[in-house]
Amino acid sequence: MPAQSHSAETNLEIDRGAHTIRMARAFDAPRAAIFAAWTQPEQVSCWWDAAGEPLATCEIDLRPGGAFKFITKGRPEMPFAGTYSEIAPPDRLVFEAMGSTGRVMLQEVAGKTHMVVEIACQSAEHLDQYLKMGVHTGTSQTLDNLVAYARGRSITADEPA
Amino acid sequence: MTMQDRHSERLSSAFYALSDPTRRAILARLTSGEASVSQLMEPFHLSQPTISKHLKVLENAGLIEGGRDAQRRPRRLAPHAMKDIADWIEPFRQQWAARFDNLDAHLANMKSQEK
Repeated sequence: MPAQSHSAETNLEIDRGAHTIRMARAFDAPRAAIFAAWTQPEQVSCWWDAAGEPLATCEIDLRPGGAFKFITKGRPEMPFAGTYSEIAPPDRLVFEAMGSTGRVMLQEVAGKTHMVVEIACQSAEHLDQYLKMGVHTGTSQTLDNLVAYARGRSITADEPA
Repeated sequence: MTMQDRHSERLSSAFYALSDPTRRAILARLTSGEASVSQLMEPFHLSQPTISKHLKVLENAGLIEGGRDAQRRPRRLAPHAMKDIADWIEPFRQQWAARFDNLDAHLANMKSQEK
């Protein structure tokens, strides 16, 4: 899939003090549409896999305590699964997955929707583990050495050359 | 030593430097602009030798560098070092960026179906 011009708009921030990963992105769609895209299986299936493939499995039991499971075709051994803890359309969805708390927060700003996705881990070590997951690169020796990040430092990718 | 080795050694020393909370706090302070040793002493309630020791570790790791004013010896963030660390996190960011690109395309698709 060719790189899209939008990709530079995703901002990633790591708050090591709060062991939280925070991603922000603006969308040209109303909050309700984005909330539905996160909570209806036929919609999640369309966009969840970074590789651009529809999901092999997408199960959603949308109620507090209800379970969800997203499985990609490429990595069936690594499902993204958990339970919902708060369902507050159109602006807030909270879930527990893989030992961390995920929060999707939607805010309308000047006709656009500002989406913040937070992944709150239990500890700094857990945060490092989380960052390593699903990331397959040849730099594992340096990954093992990662111990810290300056608190609150935001990282935005450079434009591709 | 190959370039890859050098790169990996530099990252290791950067990660070591970042393992200390005081050094992380110093870096966080320098993100808002350069500062001299005495300016750094105040907020951290540390002695001049202690601050200097931490600055040395950060400097050796290539995370900070000396500013232009030779007398005050202000320190500032070294932009390239932070970029190396940013590169480390890049695969994770890219994965989510790709996912959000898909979501963006999906939302546009849903919108056009409505019409």
